[in-house]
Amino acid sequence: MTNDGTGQSTADPCHSSLPRRLRHYASAVWAENIKEWKLELTYPLDFLRSLIDPVVYLLPYVFYGIALVGGRFSPNLEKLVGTTDIVSFITIGYVFIGFMNMALWAMGFSLRKEQMYGTLEAVFAAPVPRWIFTMGMSMHSILHQFLMILVQLLFILAVFSLKVNPLGLLPALAMIGLMLIALYGIGMIMASTTLLFKQGWLISEALGSLLMVVTPIAYPLAVLPLFMQKVALAVPTTYGILASRHFLMGEQMGFSVLTAFVRVAVLCIVWVVFGLVVFALIDRYTRRSGTLSHY
Amino acid sequence: MSLTATAAAIRAEMVKTIRIYFSYPVIVVFWAIFPVLWVLPFLFQGKALVGSYDSAAFERLTGSGNYMAFILIGAMVSNFVFSGLWGVGNSLREETYWGTMEYIIASPTHPLVVLIGKTLAEAAVTTCIVALQATIISLLPFGISFTVAKVLPVLLLVALLMVGFYGFAIAFAGFTLLIKEAHGWVHTLEWVFFLFSPIRYPVQVNIITEFVSKLIPLTWALVAIRAIILLNQRDVGLWNIVGILLAMDAALLVGGYFTFVALERKTRRDGTVGMH
Repeated sequence: MTNDGTGQSTADPCHSSLPRRLRHYASAVWAENIKEWKLELTYPLDFLRSLIDPVVYLLPYVFYGIALVGGRFSPNLEKLVGTTDIVSFITIGYVFIGFMNMALWAMGFSLRKEQMYGTLEAVFAAPVPRWIFTMGMSMHSILHQFLMILVQLLFILAVFSLKVNPLGLLPALAMIGLMLIALYGIGMIMASTTLLFKQGWLISEALGSLLMVVTPIAYPLAVLPLFMQKVALAVPTTYGILASRHFLMGEQMGFSVLTAFVRVAVLCIVWVVFGLVVFALIDRYTRRSGTLSHY
Repeated sequence: MSLTATAAAIRAEMVKTIRIYFSYPVIVVFWAIFPVLWVLPFLFQGKALVGSYDSAAFERLTGSGNYMAFILIGAMVSNFVFSGLWGVGNSLREETYWGTMEYIIASPTHPLVVLIGKTLAEAAVTTCIVALQATIISLLPFGISFTVAKVLPVLLLVALLMVGFYGFAIAFAGFTLLIKEAHGWVHTLEWVFFLFSPIRYPVQVNIITEFVSKLIPLTWALVAIRAIILLNQRDVGLWNIVGILLAMDAALLVGGYFTFVALERKTRRDGTVGMH
């Protein structure tokens, strides 16, 4: 028990029972999520822009594919994965990879943003573990990403008449859910490296670029060089994209659905544990070296 | 302010910007390597959709089926556009974050002079980075070679492109004084350029993108640069394109100047310069 300064005793959530502590953490995550939404909606024009962005971002990839093939259907793609429709193939890939960008950018940049606002020290002094803060950020970015996907899909459906199997939507979302957990681990690493290197955007951009190359977003795994194929198998986005396309448009993945789910589950554990450990180590290092507030 | 004092202020701003740039040397390495890495997904996409490194459909649109060379040239030239957007357009927002914006506004130097210093520093760093990229790319087997006969007209086109685009970036810097949260807008503009100019794909593939692209100087510059480097065409109507770019430069510089001055005056009058 502690004294809150008003003469009343309050329970310290960090030393209370597990359900109470989890409730306390959940409210902190929710508060962080709400704070981010409030900040975002302070700039309404910018918020509207962020909903149009995904469409503008997607179209060059679709047009590039059409320019290469000279139409919507590629016989070569059919030979590789059993589907010819390049518009649906590319769109599904880029729609779901948006989650990776959000994880890297929103979480990777989160601590740097607080530093720029001058509120990093206040956030770190709050009576919750630091990973709760990044989880709140992550919650906001996932919700935002769903909104963006909705706009993206509505546009593509209206213009290109996307051909997907509606029955594949639920299993695809289940796989995406698992992918998000693993991405949270990667996002934790990004957020912590910002504490060390300060220019967080650079790390997010670099890792994001590398993941964009090895993840089979607009191409199948088979066209990557062998070493990249091996790297791709350690990345959760590979399974997220391949399985989503498998469920929605029948892409042949090269492994079974069960294998895909098991591998992503393993990657979830590996990336989240690794992310939490890296975050804790870097957090301790920056506190000890006194560089937390350095720019 | 006298001309000498203005020149000294521009020089001081250039030195400051370059010093900040090199305080994070890893950023310079990043910009030299990653724009080239960003084209790899296009290479793999081409391989998956076409099955080879040459596309007949692409050749019908661009005159060359070598889509990789097409993308690489687009990536190199667009560096100038994006460095202008980030380095100049977003620069005043950065000063706000650093807490130095009020000092710039309060100094006897016009903010436009400060922006010119930033522009020159950005142009110098980008030119070095693109030269490094061009050297690396010409050593790799992408079918791109640079000779003096090719490089000289390309340099002229790039210079004209930069002049006009930095005029636009100055106007955008004024816009950031007004709307404050400019980071996302810079990203959107980046993607608008990817969509409406032939950086990554031939815009002729869609009637709307083809029409809009003609209003963007980058389109004219890229078409001429690719014809010179990729198609070995000496007669690409170079002087016609130079004339078009000069007209666009004049419009963008004059428009950029007046837009910046008007927006800067408005934010001063509203008292919102120091707001976040």
